[in-house]
Amino acid sequence: MTPELDGDAVADPNYDDEFDAIVVGAGLAGSAAALTMANRGLEVLLIERGSSPGAKNVFGGVCYTPTIRELTDFDGAPLERYVAERRFSMLSRNDETAVSISPGEWHEAPHNDSYTVLRGEFDEWFAEQAVEAGTTLVTSTTVTGLVRKNGRIVGVETDRPDGTIRAPYVVLAEGGNSLVSEGADLKATETRENVAVGVKEVLEFPGRDEVIEDRFRLTDDAGVSYHYFGEGAVGDAFGGGFIYTNDDTVSIGVAYRIEDAVAADQSPEATLNAFKSHPAVAPLVRDARTVEYSAKTIPEGGAESIPDLVHDGAAIVGDAAGLVLNNGVHLEGTNMAVESGYHAGNAIARAADQGRVGAKALQAYPDALERSFVVQNLERYAWMMDAVEADRDLLFEDLPRAFADAGTEYFRMDRTPKEAHAENAKRAVLDAVGGWTGAAKLALRYRKVVT
Amino acid sequence: MSAQPTTPQVDNDSMEDRLYTVKYSDPGDSHLDVKVPDVCTQCDTYDCVRVCPANVWRESEDGVPHIAYENCLECSSCRYACSHDNVVWTYPETGAGVTYKHG
Repeated sequence: MTPELDGDAVADPNYDDEFDAIVVGAGLAGSAAALTMANRGLEVLLIERGSSPGAKNVFGGVCYTPTIRELTDFDGAPLERYVAERRFSMLSRNDETAVSISPGEWHEAPHNDSYTVLRGEFDEWFAEQAVEAGTTLVTSTTVTGLVRKNGRIVGVETDRPDGTIRAPYVVLAEGGNSLVSEGADLKATETRENVAVGVKEVLEFPGRDEVIEDRFRLTDDAGVSYHYFGEGAVGDAFGGGFIYTNDDTVSIGVAYRIEDAVAADQSPEATLNAFKSHPAVAPLVRDARTVEYSAKTIPEGGAESIPDLVHDGAAIVGDAAGLVLNNGVHLEGTNMAVESGYHAGNAIARAADQGRVGAKALQAYPDALERSFVVQNLERYAWMMDAVEADRDLLFEDLPRAFADAGTEYFRMDRTPKEAHAENAKRAVLDAVGGWTGAAKLALRYRKVVT
Repeated sequence: MSAQPTTPQVDNDSMEDRLYTVKYSDPGDSHLDVKVPDVCTQCDTYDCVRVCPANVWRESEDGVPHIAYENCLECSSCRYACSHDNVVWTYPETGAGVTYKHG
């Protein structure tokens, strides 16, 4: 075979009816599903619309890895840093009040399964694990629709010539912007109250050695996860800002609900600029160069927004299934994506072993997911979105300001006795929350966040 | 000592320079459109313009937004933002559109 012909043959082989399962999207959920099925002996086709896995993918920055480590040899994974410090910071216009946690245990492998990664590299590596297990990966190929026969999903349409590819099972791992699932009426389009827009920059510090280590007080592979709330982060919107340290870059961004973004007097880009210029943030990112600017949407509808996860011939996983947890303290998606791909892959492998098709044959997937931390966690915080929305001015504007004022008063250095300072500090907080009654109600309302 | 330490100046790239950081391959045709132009001419909120992080959607004189699709970062926020559900959004095909190196 001549090299030219070889190229053509690789570009457009006939994959129709050659596979047991097709996975749409080589992100974390899709590759987890492909890897799981390939490990169980299925012939799997993994279709990615980007020129390589990860090419279309954006996230904040921390990958949670308990399931990935079980699924594959993790030694070669392209990790940036492990998370050694988590910092939660409330920003009013000019103040910062923060809590920082850095347990000694996080310095020890496996580092609480929390690592900053960059998705271009990481997703390519993870898809490669699926390929090494026997998965066939095709890139630069867009799935444009599903093929049905007698109501059953029996394959996908792609943008390739003769692009129909049939297989008994289809896993939809196309991400939050799930055009294929929605186009096939497998799920409704999420409302803008339940979707956040995120913008992010990856920054480098040219000509400055050790700048990340020095600014964030790091040694070796240790890194930080900083989360910011309040008007200094995203104005009066429901959302927040973040900073994560990579090996030699820093990821910084903001994410907030689209419902608020359209009402705001500034664009997401301007919100990011304002966050970067906050007095508590600017010293961390000054003199940087932007290596990459990116944007994405985040499904934040929680447990109530999870669509039917299985259909006749198909399963929905990851962001496409709305599996993202944002309760203000925990921001998780990568772990839930992998977990869902794993359970979907398992269910399909079992159905294939038994020669069964149909939604009932795949019911093991939603059953397993409901028993897993994924749905348990989402349900645990299902009440929160509404509560936070109702308390939004208090939580994002009044409280950050009150805590800053309280701190200022409590530590005031003058010739007044400390009793007066403490009283002023207490009053600043109580005024904001509506007295002792308000404080008690608030504590009761949000007790489940920490307890 | 000054009472207020100066907040260091953070220089942000222009939108144009920011978009230059992302590899882009033009699919030739726009992957974005509006479903019914008349809906746009009667829209006075321009939520697509307000939400877009990449200056893709721009107000225009005839009321139908100009779509600079080659700026698109494929975040899909316009799809959700439009309260009239009037955005056509398709995936750029054969690997075209943005390619993030880091993501």
